[in-house]
Amino acid sequence: MNPDKDINEEKLSEQLQRLLISIEASGRAVLPKSNDVLLKSIVDAAARIFGAAAASILLVNEEEEALEFKVSTGEADHDLVGTKFPYDRGIAGYVFMTGQPIATSNVREDKRFNQDFAKSTGYVPDSILATPLISSDDRIIGVMEVLDKIDATSFDLHDMELMGMFAQQAAMAIDMSQQIDSIEQALVRGLKRLAKEDRTQDSSDLKSALDQAHSGENRTSDLLVLADLFNDISGLGEAERKACIQVLTTFAEYRKTTSAPRRFR
Amino acid sequence: MPEETLRPAWSQHFTPDAIQELLAQGPFAKITPEWAWGESTGKGVRVAVVDSGVEYDHPALEHCVQGGVVVEYDSKAKDNYRIKSDEKPLDVSGHGTACAGIIHSIAPEAEIYSVRVLGRNMGGRAIQFAAGLDWTIENDMQVVNLSLSTSLEEFFGLFHDLADQAYFKNMNLVSAVNNIPEPSYPSLYSSVISVAAHEGHDPFTYYYNPNPPVEFGAPGIDVEVAWNKGQYLVCTGNSFAAPHITGITALIRAKHPELTPFQIKTVLLACAANTKRQK
Repeated sequence: MNPDKDINEEKLSEQLQRLLISIEASGRAVLPKSNDVLLKSIVDAAARIFGAAAASILLVNEEEEALEFKVSTGEADHDLVGTKFPYDRGIAGYVFMTGQPIATSNVREDKRFNQDFAKSTGYVPDSILATPLISSDDRIIGVMEVLDKIDATSFDLHDMELMGMFAQQAAMAIDMSQQIDSIEQALVRGLKRLAKEDRTQDSSDLKSALDQAHSGENRTSDLLVLADLFNDISGLGEAERKACIQVLTTFAEYRKTTSAPRRFR
Repeated sequence: MPEETLRPAWSQHFTPDAIQELLAQGPFAKITPEWAWGESTGKGVRVAVVDSGVEYDHPALEHCVQGGVVVEYDSKAKDNYRIKSDEKPLDVSGHGTACAGIIHSIAPEAEIYSVRVLGRNMGGRAIQFAAGLDWTIENDMQVVNLSLSTSLEEFFGLFHDLADQAYFKNMNLVSAVNNIPEPSYPSLYSSVISVAAHEGHDPFTYYYNPNPPVEFGAPGIDVEVAWNKGQYLVCTGNSFAAPHITGITALIRAKHPELTPFQIKTVLLACAANTKRQK
């Protein structure tokens, strides 16, 4: 995530709202420790559930119009991470472009799989099940693949349908985790401002915590500070949760007044 | 996740235990596969494959591809898309070639047209898809294979209108239902022939589900298909079930050009493997 990336205000307030709704729905903040840990746990679970020798997740890199390997487990491990494919290449590309899962076997026959690349990693799968990762607002954020069914020659329709449901859950968790990353700065700014304005209580601890968080040295620990804040607030009860939502809504509205929203893709 | 959501999404209706026996009575009992498509080759029926393109010179297609178009997203163009003629179509993925290959294997003399609606611009996907479907309506296609769908609610009305226009122009739209358990358009409209996968392999064995929205189940599991660059591979998905019904529909239309879209659906129902004829 590029910290200098221009954050669109309109999108930001939408994201804040979405995040808060999901936090309220769950009754407590269940924020992941970090995106990487979350992704790793998802592919590990996918490989286990679907009896696959390997699994990986590719996420959208919008700037480069590419799908990027973010995490992988099993035989295909290590070298894959960081590799990028154009949107319209390969099976993952088709799944990404159409939002439809696909299961194939005899993959060696399929040149779209980009054999040179697969060979360079020393791993060419016999069977693939690839499923889109679709966020709760219908954006395709990436593709999850499980490779080489251990007890059979190919993945079946039941695997495909179960994987669809698994991917739905995974996509929501990944999307939320990404949003947390991108809204972190804005959230901190908003909370700081409100802490400053709140003269009814001593907020100096909060202010200094937010000052530290804003230094941006350690993004993961910043996220944890925020996650803890959410946890504390949501654990107190309904009134406190509502207050928190009000605080953030106020922030979102304030941001709307400070700059005109631009269209953003 | 609640236990009941762990059932398969749409193809649950076509598992061996779930298939219900149906009864054709009176004049409907006289409709047999032999009457419906016996000896038909689909000759002259224009079939569009709206997909990732079709590799026109793939050996499996035996030169049945008559041409086609590419629908590109263009934010500067009117309605945000541009249509280009594609005399010798190619396939950016292999998926459209797979669908065309299945259709051709069932209806070898049907004329296949490639309508490529996939490109790198994700934001334009539903628009490209709709524009491609619109092209098939404007260009007198008779059967359209849609192994694609959109789940974007804002396109519900547009696709519904297109499906109605197609219906009133005597066309059959055959659409794969989503493999993911969520609504998708246009597969769930009543005028569309919606298809999910079942486990069999005989291309002419398909089933009717009396509890729609998904009406037909056709082979879609471990199907050997043509893929681009002259390749073949084995695929699973509802995407590969729809072209089986598209092919059979082309056969019926070639043999019975007088039939209307709803009559064709009736014929398909009467010839389903789970329909028993009362003598």
